[in-house]
Amino acid sequence: MTSLELSELSVTFGSTPALSSLSLNVKSGDFAAILGPSGCGKTTLLRAIAGLVTPNSGAIRFDKKLVSVSSLVLPAHKRNVGYLPQEAGLFPHLTVGENVGFGLSAGSRKIKNSERNERIREMLDLVGLIKLIDRKPHQLSGGQQTRVALARALAIQPAIVLLDEPFSNLDYALRVDVSEEVIALLKKSKTTSLMVTHDREEALVSADIIALMSHGTIVQSGTPQSIYMGPQSAEMAQSTGDIVQISAQRRPDGTVVSVLHPQPAQFDARSELGALLIRPEEIRIHDTDKNGSYQRATVSRVKYYGHDAMVELSLPGVGSSEQIPLLARVAGPVEYAVGETVYIEHHGPIRWVSKKVTDR
Amino acid sequence: MLDTNEKLPRNLRESNRDNRPSTLLLLAGVVALAFVALPIFYLFRLAKRSDVETLTLLIFRAKTAEIIFTTISLATLVSLFATVLGLTLAWTLHNVKIPRNNLFRALVMIPIAIPSYIYAYCWLSLEALPRGYFSALIVLTLATTPYIILATFSAFSRIDLAQLEVAQTLGDNPLRLFTRVIFPQIRNTILAGSLLVTLYVLSDFGAVSLLGVDTLTRAIQNTYQGSYDRSSAAVLAIILLILSALVIFRENLWRNESYHTITSSSITKAGKKYTQRRVRILASTLIVAYILVALLLPMSLLIQRFVTRERALDLSNLFNVTSSTIVVSAIGAVLAIAISIPLALLSLTGSRLGKFAEWGVFLVHALPGIVMGLALVSFGAQFSFIYQTLILLAIAYSILFLARSVGFISSSISRVPKNLEEISSTLGKNKRETFFRVTLPLALPGILSGALLIFLSAMKELPATLMLRPTGFETLATEIWSSANIFRFSEAAPYALLLVIFAAIPAFLISRPDRQNSNRGEIS
Repeated sequence: MTSLELSELSVTFGSTPALSSLSLNVKSGDFAAILGPSGCGKTTLLRAIAGLVTPNSGAIRFDKKLVSVSSLVLPAHKRNVGYLPQEAGLFPHLTVGENVGFGLSAGSRKIKNSERNERIREMLDLVGLIKLIDRKPHQLSGGQQTRVALARALAIQPAIVLLDEPFSNLDYALRVDVSEEVIALLKKSKTTSLMVTHDREEALVSADIIALMSHGTIVQSGTPQSIYMGPQSAEMAQSTGDIVQISAQRRPDGTVVSVLHPQPAQFDARSELGALLIRPEEIRIHDTDKNGSYQRATVSRVKYYGHDAMVELSLPGVGSSEQIPLLARVAGPVEYAVGETVYIEHHGPIRWVSKKVTDR
Repeated sequence: MLDTNEKLPRNLRESNRDNRPSTLLLLAGVVALAFVALPIFYLFRLAKRSDVETLTLLIFRAKTAEIIFTTISLATLVSLFATVLGLTLAWTLHNVKIPRNNLFRALVMIPIAIPSYIYAYCWLSLEALPRGYFSALIVLTLATTPYIILATFSAFSRIDLAQLEVAQTLGDNPLRLFTRVIFPQIRNTILAGSLLVTLYVLSDFGAVSLLGVDTLTRAIQNTYQGSYDRSSAAVLAIILLILSALVIFRENLWRNESYHTITSSSITKAGKKYTQRRVRILASTLIVAYILVALLLPMSLLIQRFVTRERALDLSNLFNVTSSTIVVSAIGAVLAIAISIPLALLSLTGSRLGKFAEWGVFLVHALPGIVMGLALVSFGAQFSFIYQTLILLAIAYSILFLARSVGFISSSISRVPKNLEEISSTLGKNKRETFFRVTLPLALPGILSGALLIFLSAMKELPATLMLRPTGFETLATEIWSSANIFRFSEAAPYALLLVIFAAIPAFLISRPDRQNSNRGEIS
C-alpha cells in the first residue's frame, strides 16, 4: 500500500527531452494507466520510477518519502518496485521457480530457504503455473512467460508495480485473457500499479485512473469516464476514442451554435469562434425528419465492423458548396446506402474547445 | 516541488556515482593494467641501454631497411592473397550447391589448427622449391587463409536473405548484388580478418626462420641469440611493435560504422544457391584443391614421416612434453581470462580508466611473440626468482593472447541483454550481485570457449616459448621446431601430429556455424 507522487519530473537524453516537468499522483492501491502515442516518453517515465533512469530534475515520492530528487536518487535495487518490461525478461539460465525466487534472497529481503520455497509456490499458484516450476523460460509460451514475470515481480511484495505494455507481444485473443487476469490479480492484492499502454481500450477497461501523456508530460488525468467524456482538447479526445470536430460559435449567454445546433437568433457579434468535439456514438440517424429539428445529411461511406459500423456523413455547410464531414456509430446491421439522404441529431454533451485545433 | 524543510532521506545517493566502477573493479583493473604495461615497459628499458652510435648504425644500415621492407611486403602480399583466396572459398561454399557441404565446411576450417612452422616443415620435406621468400609467401598464405574463411563465413550467414531477394526484384544482377548489398555488410569483417592475417605474418617466427627469410622476427632472434646484444634486439622489436600498431590503427581508420539493422530473430538464412553444373564443378574443384593442398598434403606428409621414422618412438618424452605443454598453456589461459575480465568490465564502463584499459589492450594486441619473449627476458633478468619458470611463460601467454580474450569476454558480456540486468536491479540485487548472478552465468559459455581457444593458441606458441622456457622444459612447439630446424623431419613428426590433433578440436568446434559467437576472438 503505497502512494506514488511525481512532481515536475524532467529527463533529457543528451539534448533530447524525454520527460518535461511531468507531475502525477496515484493513490495507494490504484491501478493507473498511462496512455499515449509511441515516443511520448511513457517507457522513460516507468524507468525513472523504477530507478533505471536518472531524472535531471523533479522529485519522486513513494508514500511521501523521497526516492528521487534532482540528482539524488535511491538506486533501483533499493526501491522495492516490481517491473514488468515489454518482453517478459525471464532469466534464461534459471528455471521458472528460480526466476520467481530471484528477488527473495537479496539485501534486507534475506529469508529462510523453506520460507522462500513456500513463497515461490504461493506466487506460482497465484498465476496458475505451479506445474511449470521446473521448466526453463524457453519452454514456456508467451502468455506463460508474462505470468511468470508477474509472479517474479510480486514475489518481493513490491510497493509499486510498473507494467510496460506487458501484453503487446501476445496474440490478440491471448492478450485480452492474460491482461484481464493479470490486472485482476494486481487489483486483488491492492498493489499500486502503473501500466503504460497505447491500447485505449485496455486502458479504459482496466484502469482506476487514466493519465494522458503527450510530448513528455501528462496533459490530463482522471477516471476513464471523465477522460473519455470530458477531454480538454481534440488531441486528448482522439487518444481515448474516435472524435469529430465541427466549427461552432459560443454566444455571450453560453449557448452554442453549430450546424447541428441551430438557434433562432443566428448571429451575435460578440460570439466566440471555436469548435465542438463530438463522439460518433452521440450522433443518431433517423430516416425522416419527424419534428423538424433534425439536420439533413448524405451518407458518403459505410465502414462495417461486425458488431457495429461507422457511417460517414456529409452535412451541407453555411456556404452552398461547403460540406461538413461527420461520423456516426450505429449498432448492428446497417441499412444505409451510399448517397442516401438521412436526418441526424446530436444527443450528448456540448464539448466546447475555444479554438479549432487544426491537427486533423 | 520540494519543501525547504523536508528532510532528505539518508539512503539517497548522488546518481552519477552509479556509473563509476567499484573499488574492487578498480583494484583488479589496476593489477591487470600492470600486467599489460610490464612487457612494454621492459622493452623500452632494454632499448634505452643501447648507445646512440650502435643505434644509428643499426637503424640506418642497408640491411635493416631490407629486413623491414621484406617484412612489410611479405605481410601485405600474404594478407592480400589470403583475403582473395579465403573470400572466394567462403563465397563458394556459401552460395554454390555442393554435395556434403557441411563436411567441406569443417574441412576447410581445420587448417586453422596447423601452425605456420608445421606448414613450413612440410614444405621443406617436400623439397619442391628452395627455401626463401617465395616459399614463405605460399606457406603463410596457406596458414592464414582459414582466418579469412572463418570471418567471412559468419558474415555471409548474417546477411538477411530478404534483403538479397528485394535487391533482385529491384533489378540487381549477381555482380551488382555483391558490390551493392553484400560487400558493404561484410566489409568490416574482411578488414578484421585481413588485420588478423597481417599481424600473424608480422609476428610469425617459425615459418620464416625455417624457410630462411630475413624478417624482423628472425633478425630479432638472431641478434639476441648470436651476439646476446639484447638492446639492439629490443630496438628491432620496437620497430616491429610500431609496424603492428600502425596496422591496427589503419584498420580502425578504414572500419566504417557497422550495420545492425538485422534485429529480427526470423532471418531466413537458407539462401538460393547456384545449381548450374558448370559452376558446381568449378566450385567443387576449387574447394577440393584447397583441402588437398592445405590439409591432406601436410597431414599425409606428417603421417608418412611418422610411419617411416628410423628411431623408436620415445613415448615417455612424448608424454612429458604433452603434459607440460598442457599445464603451462592451461595456466596461461586461466591467467588471461582472469586479467581480461576486469579489463573488459572497465572498458565497458566507459570511464577514464576504461579508456586507458582499451589502449593497453590495443598495444598488447600489436605485441608479437618474439617481442614479448625479449621483454620478459629483460624482466626476468631483474627478478631472477621468476626467470626461467613456468609462471613467467604462462604470464607471457596470458598477455600475448590478452586482446583476443578481452574481445571474447566483452562481446560475451555485452551480448547479455541489458534489460535482464535492469530487472535484476529492480528485484533488489546490487551491481555486484547482478554481475555474479545474471551477467556472468549468461556470458560464461562464450568466456569458456574463449578460454579454450587461448589454451590452444598457447599450445602452438613458438617464439616466446623458445626464449622464456625453463632449461630442459620442452613444449610440443619447441620440440617440433628444434627437430625441424636441423632438418630431422621424422623426429618432429609425432609431436607435430599430436599438436595438429589437439588444435583441430576447437577448429572443428568453431567451424560449426551454430557455435560461432564472435568474429573478434579467433584462434591462432
